[in-house]
Formats: sequence, C-alpha cells, structure tokens
Amino acid sequence: MAIVKMKKATIIALQSEKEILTKALQEFGGLHMLDIREEVSEHEDIKLSKGDVLQGEDAADEVNRLEARLSQVKYALEFIKRFGTIKKSMFAPKVEVDEDSYIRYLQDEPKINQIVDSCREIDSKFAELKSKETKTQNTISQLLPWKDLDMRLEEIKASRYTIMSIGFVASKYTDDFKAALNSIDEKVYIETISIGRENTYMLIVCHTDIEDNVVQSMKQFGWSKVAFNDITGTPAENIKKLNDELRNIESVRNSLAEKGKELIDNNEYLEIMHDILSIERDKKDVTSNFVKTEKTVLISGWIPEKVTNDLEAAIAKITESYSLEFQEPREDELYPTLLDNPSFAQPVEFITDQYSIPSSKGVDPNIIMAPFFIMFFGLMVSDAVYGILVATISALLLLKIKPQGNFKKLVGLMALGGAATAFWGIMFGGWLGGMIRIPAIMFDPLQEPFAMIGLCVGMGILHLFVGMGLQAYKNIRNGNVLDAVFDQGFWYLLLIGILMLALPATAIIGKYMAITGAAGLVLTQGRTEKNIIKRLLSGVLSLYNITGFLGDALSYLRLFALGLATGVIGQVINSMALMLGGTIIGSIIMVIVLIFGHTFNIGINVLGAYVHSSRLQYVEFFSKFYEGDGIQYNPFRIKTKFIVKK
Amino acid sequence: MNLFEFMNASGGLIWAFLGSAIAVGFAGWGSVIGVGNTGVAAAGVVTEDPGKFGKTLLLQALPGTQGIYGLLIGFLIWQKIGVFGGLVEINLQQGFLLFLASLPIGLVGFVSAIYQGRAAAAGCAIVAKRPEELAKGMVFAAMVETYAVLALLASFLMLNGITL
Repeated sequence: MAIVKMKKATIIALQSEKEILTKALQEFGGLHMLDIREEVSEHEDIKLSKGDVLQGEDAADEVNRLEARLSQVKYALEFIKRFGTIKKSMFAPKVEVDEDSYIRYLQDEPKINQIVDSCREIDSKFAELKSKETKTQNTISQLLPWKDLDMRLEEIKASRYTIMSIGFVASKYTDDFKAALNSIDEKVYIETISIGRENTYMLIVCHTDIEDNVVQSMKQFGWSKVAFNDITGTPAENIKKLNDELRNIESVRNSLAEKGKELIDNNEYLEIMHDILSIERDKKDVTSNFVKTEKTVLISGWIPEKVTNDLEAAIAKITESYSLEFQEPREDELYPTLLDNPSFAQPVEFITDQYSIPSSKGVDPNIIMAPFFIMFFGLMVSDAVYGILVATISALLLLKIKPQGNFKKLVGLMALGGAATAFWGIMFGGWLGGMIRIPAIMFDPLQEPFAMIGLCVGMGILHLFVGMGLQAYKNIRNGNVLDAVFDQGFWYLLLIGILMLALPATAIIGKYMAITGAAGLVLTQGRTEKNIIKRLLSGVLSLYNITGFLGDALSYLRLFALGLATGVIGQVINSMALMLGGTIIGSIIMVIVLIFGHTFNIGINVLGAYVHSSRLQYVEFFSKFYEGDGIQYNPFRIKTKFIVKK
Repeated sequence: MNLFEFMNASGGLIWAFLGSAIAVGFAGWGSVIGVGNTGVAAAGVVTEDPGKFGKTLLLQALPGTQGIYGLLIGFLIWQKIGVFGGLVEINLQQGFLLFLASLPIGLVGFVSAIYQGRAAAAGCAIVAKRPEELAKGMVFAAMVETYAVLALLASFLMLNGITL
C-alpha cells in the first residue's frame, strides 16, 4: 500500500572528496544512513591492496568540539531571552542564508566567544547580586525585631558589675519568665523591645552577683540569646543602611539588565550560528557511519526508489570518480518506513506512529483507518455546534500558524474529527446539548437507543471485517493464499452466516454458510499439529474465538455511551444555566456558566473521543493484522530551526 | 412508624433519590480518588520537568469521566421524576427499579475510577521517562474505562425501560 519502496545505495568515493560528498548528500537530503562499520568488519573476503586497512571513520573529536560550541550558543540564546523577547511575527519568513554568507559566518566563529563571555559575565554578576541580596534580606529580618531598641549594638556587652543580654523567649512564657527573674532580684532590668508572632524580644540587665541564677532561669524558659557580632550602630540605623543597600543592588541589577538588553541585538546572529553549527555537526557526525581505506570511503544507506536517479545526479555534479550501486532489499530485510498517503489520511499517521511505526514488511493501515477513526471520533462527540467550533478553530490554526510535523497532524486530526462531529450532530439532532432544537435527520439516540446500538455494533463489525481483510490481503501478497482462505475466509463465512441468521429472509442461507464456515475452521485451524486428534481438537477449540469476536463487537458500544455522555452533560449545563436566568445579573452568570460549561464539555469529550477512538484502532483493529516495529525513515539532511539555507 | 411503614408511606421517590445519589455520589467518589492519585504522580513528574504539565494533565483527566457518567445517570433520573419542577408521584416498584438502574454506574464507576487512576498514575511514569509514548499510557488507562462505559450504557438502558 502506501509504504514507499526503498533501495539500498552503496557509494564508494575518494577520501579527498569526502567533505564535498557529505555536503552534497546532506543537501540532497534523501539518504537514510546505515552504520556499516560492523557489517564490513565481519567480511573477511574483501580484498585490499597490500598494507591498506579497512576501518571505521572516527570524527568524535570534531563532533565534540562542535557540540560544545553549539551548547555555548544555546546557552547564550537562552540567556538573552531573559531580557525581553524579540518581537518577531509568527508569520515572519525565516532568515535566508546563502552559500557565501554561510562560509563567512563559519569563519566568524570566534565572535561567539565574545558574546558568550559577556553573557557569562553578566550572569555571574547577577548571581553575585542575588547572594548579596539574600544575605542583606536575612540580616534585615534578624534586625527588625530590634528596631525600637535605642542602643548601639556594640554597647551590648558585660561591664564590670553588670551583664547585659538581648534575646527572646516564647511569648507564652514571657510573664512567668519575668516573674522568675524578679523573684531573684527585683532590680533586674527587663525591657520588652517587641512582640513577634511567637516570640517576645527583650533586653535584660542584671548585676554580676546574680548572674548564675539569672542564667539558670534563662535556660529554664528557653531564652535564645541574640548577638550581632559585626554590626555597629543602632538597629534602626542599620536597617535603614541595609535597605539603602537593597535599593542599590536593585539599581545595579537594572543597569546590568540594560547591558543585557544590548545583547539582544545578537539574537539573530546566534540563531544563524545555532543552525550553521548544527548542520556542521550533523555533517561530521554522519561520517561515523562510514568505512574508509587509505584512499577511499564507503557509504551506504536506504533511499526511496523514486529518487535513485536524483541521487546519482547529485553525486555526478560534484565528482567524476565514484561508484554508485543500488540493491533491492533482501526478502527478510527491514528497511526504513516512509509513508506516502493522501492528505486526508496523513493526520491518522500520528495515531499509528504512536502505537508503533508500520513495518516495511506489513501494510500501512492509515488510508483505511482514517475514515473509521474520524467517524468514530465524531460519533463519540456528536454535537453539531461543538463539531463546527472544533473544526473551525483547527482549520484556522492550520491556515494561519502552519504547524509542522506531529503537531500539524494532530491539528488536522481535530479538523477532520470536528467535521465528523458536526456530521453526526446533524444526523442525531445534537445542537449544543439540545439548546437549539433541530430535529434529527437519522434518529435521536436518546429516544431510540436500539437503533443506535445497532449502528454502533454494525460499524464495529465492518471495522473488524476490514481488519481481517487486511490480514487476508497480507497473506495473499506473501503467497499464502491457503492461509487467507482458512484463517480469514472461513471466519468470514461463519460470522456473516451467523449475522444472516438474525434476518428471517436470509436465515436459511445463513445457516448453511455458518455451518460451512464452522466445519472449515474445525478442519483447518489445527493444521500445524501433526497428530490427527490434536488437530481436530484445536480446530474445535478455535471456534471459541467467536466469543472474542463478540467482545470486540460489543466494545464498539462505547461509541454510543460516549456520545450519550456529551449530549446529556450538555443538557445538564443548559438546565443549570437556565435556572439562573431571569434577572440581569442572573443572565450574565447564565452566559458565563454556558460558556465555561460547554467549553469544559468539549474539552473532556474531545479527549475521551481521541483516546477511545485510538483504543478501538489499537486493540480491536490492529490486533487483526498490524505489524509494527518499523524503523522511522530519518534521512541525512539539513535540519534547521531558524534559517533557510539557500 | 417503623422503617417498612416509612418506606411504604413515602412511596417510590425515596428510592429514586437514593439511586441517583448512589450514581452521582459513588461514581464521583471513585473519580476523586482516581484523579487525586494521578495528580500526585503527575506533580512528581512536573517537579522534574515542568514542560510535561500538559501531558500529565491529559492523563489526570481520564479517571474523571466516571464522575461525569454518574452525574449523567443521576440527571436522567431527576428528569424522569421531575426534580426540576413538579415531582412526579411514583409507586414503590417504580422507585425501586430506578434505584436498581443506578447501581451499575454507581458501583462500577466507583471501582473503575480508582483502578483507572492507578493505571493513569503509572502512565505518568511513562511520561517521565519516555514522553513520546504518552498515547500508550493513555490507552492503558482507557482499557479500564471500558467497563465504566459499559456500566453507563447498562444503567441508561435499564433507565430507558422504566415507564412512569
């Protein structure tokens, strides 16, 4: 199906032209490199001229150097961001860099040092300021309780006949503490300086004669002595001084930030260097896949069949001395998976890749899975207004922001899912949880649940049959036609027969179909067993799989239940909101409730629909045929973030 | 008045209310546990890497649906018995049937939300180590939800079959 066929390319070229060759290959951008060093080392029959050795390329030093440079640039870019973002329109085209200026930029590499050094300088000054600020703030908070102490801190010390101490006790003990001190000697001087949240801060002066007793009382009540060793002057003075210092730090910081802002001008240069260095790094890094002799280099990789000629042309353009060979993959050989799907199926690739990348030996399920995924998604939300909203927003995102990669696929998925949601909403008459009354075109699932159950299980059975069909296709493609008849054909007969039994008109044909199918299964399902009895026994046992099929089909009832949830929750929101209406304020609240409520409902149900639609693919559909564990096609190419290389 | 006489005298409404309370209450209770447990795991992941907030939030939302399913069944019962304007008189049998109809989502919702929460919390560990495999973690959690969805459907069909 839509897995692109690949060929293995093997290039032999001159050592001297290795640089320009890798450059050309990178610009060509279609070769998925293979690390052949190990493979080659196992081939002992490769004949080389005397004295020459076959060995792997080693470019680790150069790669490491470029890595280090790159991380410097990243650091500088990240650092500059702190001083204000660079106003760049989302739609601004990327900077274009042509070959000449590319080389000029590359030679201008030392300029990075300058920028990085000034970033580092500012950065370390900031860190210095920060630690100074923290220290100052700590001192201030220690001094604050002593603000009203009208004494110079250096004067708080013992004299010949007195001892003097400042400190605090827990406020709940203050009275007892004072009483205890007074009971030692009434002349103990106690001054309460301030009362904090938990502690009371006091100054205590007493005669040296009673020092021992006082100290003991202090111990008893958990007195914490406070000392300010390096500080002179009154606490109030000091607090003022420190606050001035804080302001000073702030102004130094502002002037530093101004300096930092000047660096913003370098942003474009840094972005360009970031990409140029990445390109150079990749170019060096890829050589670690190569094998070399003294004069030649051997390169191997996978390439899409369609562009083999382009590769030949790209190499021929730069050199004449080369050898290029293309090989078909061996039968059991896995090659990188590149998918080629029409645009409506591309978003679903995201779902498949999340499960596992399709194997090149299997089939690409995306194009077949896409309509099912989208329809199931729509059924599980099934509200016309929700659908239109989700589809419109996603479509706008796609057109305006032009997302890339997986995000683009996800948004595309929402756009398609939204459209399907609107479709089913119209079919079932679901308009904003029943607020807008438009009758259903098909039927209202709330009124006719059995029609809905039939629809869901019917779509499920179709989905399962298609899954089995894909396995049959794979069997036939691999030449195992009998497997397709035995493993899928008989099951089809049996299951369709049973389904037809339900209708009186087809009951008789159905009966014979079911019996034929069952008989076929009993006879063939044990065909790997040698023993005839075992063979029949496993044949009979295989019929037990009908229950598995039944379980799979019933699993699709979630389509109904989740659709039900959306509709009824919408109703709940509406009736809650309508209860509020009437007054002006009530109406305003009503509108707010409606907007928030329905936004929430969309969010939770879109998430649910996404997860459950994925699950139906992964568990019910993929289990019938899917082969994952493929290798992502990741060609050696120019990867840029900010620039376009011309 | 003994309990039996009380039941008889109050008619079916008391059972209908009890049923809807079980549907909303138990399913919601389960979701609270499930979402809470996932939130604990998610917060741990975000401590290491705040950029994973969005992904873990998706996982946290998953065990929350049971509470919604419970509310849904509760709401349908209230609609049926006219809580939003003019209660309908129903007999004991009708009331008891409404009560029974709310049991599947109440009970399965309660248990499944707790276990789905565990699976989702483990999914947060996937996001921590291999953020690109989020979808797999979500599917593991969604496997548990299947039974809540089936219970919701059962409750709905039972409810649908009760005529007042």
